[in-house]
Amino acid sequence: MTQPAVIVDRAYKPYEGDRRSIAWIMGAVVKDGFRRVFGLRRKFTKKLFPWILVGLMVMILAGIVIPAWFVGDQLDLPLPENAEYFDITSLLPILFMALAAPALLIPDRRDGTLALYLSRPLTRINYLIAKVVALFALMMSVYLIPQALLFISLASLDGGGFFAYFADHGRTLAAIAGTAASYFVLHASLGLLIAAFVPKPGFAGGAYLGTLLIANLVTGAVVNGASGWERWLGLLALEQHPRVVRDWFFDVMTVRYVPTEAGFDPWVSLATIGAVALLAAAGIWAQYRKLP
Amino acid sequence: MSSSVLRISNLTHDFGSLRALDGVTFEAPPGAVGLVGANGAGKTTLIKLCLGLLTPVSGTIEVLGGPPGGQPRVGYMPEASALPLDQKAADFVAYSAELAGLPVRSAKRRASETLYLVGLDEERFRYIGDFSTGMQQRVKLAQAIVHDPQLVFLDEPTAGLDPEGRDAMLELIKRLGGFGTNVVFSTHIITDIERTCDWALLLDGGSVLQSGGIEALGTTGLVRVEVDGHTEEVAHRLREEGFEAVVDAGVVLVRAGGAEIYEAIQRAVVAEQVGLRLLDEAQATLEELFFTLPPTEAPLPPPLPGQPQ
Repeated sequence: MTQPAVIVDRAYKPYEGDRRSIAWIMGAVVKDGFRRVFGLRRKFTKKLFPWILVGLMVMILAGIVIPAWFVGDQLDLPLPENAEYFDITSLLPILFMALAAPALLIPDRRDGTLALYLSRPLTRINYLIAKVVALFALMMSVYLIPQALLFISLASLDGGGFFAYFADHGRTLAAIAGTAASYFVLHASLGLLIAAFVPKPGFAGGAYLGTLLIANLVTGAVVNGASGWERWLGLLALEQHPRVVRDWFFDVMTVRYVPTEAGFDPWVSLATIGAVALLAAAGIWAQYRKLP
Repeated sequence: MSSSVLRISNLTHDFGSLRALDGVTFEAPPGAVGLVGANGAGKTTLIKLCLGLLTPVSGTIEVLGGPPGGQPRVGYMPEASALPLDQKAADFVAYSAELAGLPVRSAKRRASETLYLVGLDEERFRYIGDFSTGMQQRVKLAQAIVHDPQLVFLDEPTAGLDPEGRDAMLELIKRLGGFGTNVVFSTHIITDIERTCDWALLLDGGSVLQSGGIEALGTTGLVRVEVDGHTEEVAHRLREEGFEAVVDAGVVLVRAGGAEIYEAIQRAVVAEQVGLRLLDEAQATLEELFFTLPPTEAPLPPPLPGQPQ
């Protein structure tokens, strides 16, 4: 006997399931941030640049670690130390920041979706915190995953043994974390501040890169050998402050950076990074409190 | 506990030196409420204040019994472009649901159901940038209702649509009431409000022109009498009995004055031995109210019992 036909009503049904907390909603914003930066669920052109950068980072790391693992003993290929590695790949995280910070903030303003999002339980502060968390997670992956793999490689190849290397280099791990944090705070502050005001992602990325480059060139030229008020301009060499802090944390001296050249101690660089973060937070809030 | 979905009291808002809203007071009962006014009347400002996107200079707003902003069961369809053109409709609507606190799986299911409801079932995995204006308006409506809001603000939802698209959008809006969703619908097209709403708030220059139930707003206090001849004579007989009666376009209009008016009409018709074609209360359209009856010069009849002032 045949079963009677069933009419399936696909019309509107009230939602009676649970509704999650604001922390969960912020998590949704963070996830959306990842998808946006990596161009996931978007057209191919949106995926191109981020994945090229990721590919380059992987290739550099693989180019250093893999030969050292397999033929390092025969060819006497030393692995770079963790402190040096920040310099070897320094340009790629900067390029990634130039991509990620604008991608996180600008489309919501450009497309007009910010008003929709803020009409939900999300407040402006929740929204901005979620964006910073998304950027933090992305950039820490960029800074720390290669550093962690390098550290593990160094430990594996160390003659004294894997665990002995860990025990001897506990301070290095702290220095890696501290350096990554100082890089993030300086670059995220600048990247997000510019992205909060510039209407197009490409322009914002360019403005961020241009600011770092011009500040380095100008301050380098002005501060060189100066002892008067000009030396204070050395504090504007923004990109060099995390490097100074890196040398301080790792207790190494790579090159003399502009702030050092101008006679400032490393803690001044650390304080400058903090000041840049505060100024950026104030600027971003001033912009977003009146949006949309 | 208040039965109003929206309660606004003495609301004032300025943009610099420009006063956008001036002492707006209004109480919206459950159902569909139309905000009517010309461009610049303050409709969008009022909606943004109700959503907490703007902070008023003075006055109070209560949305679903609470303060404006941060409410999980409020939806918003803005007039301006508000869609990520590089995303697929299903992804964007699901994300909108997640932002109202729905878990991921529920958000995806609701997105599919809601896009089906607005007629975008087949197109839900296409990029929004590839959609026509009408389809984009439907996506905007879908994101506004995907989280099953108790109250949804629709700001000019028919803007930019062709007549067919406009009809379809108005039908969708009418259906929202059946889902238990209260609607605040702003437009400058008065007939759209008459088609879809039970209540209306008429704004002009940031001030309330009139508010109330659509039918009550249109009450003129006149009775229409259409007879098949002797129209002037019927009107004359009514005047003789002490009623105000005029003939307008072949119809007798009599000022209503209780049940005795109907008895007087009956006597006049019988006396003139004419047939009675039509006898009803004359209704003014919102358009007539908006353009011809500014409250300072020609106040509308007082609201019915239980109707907000």
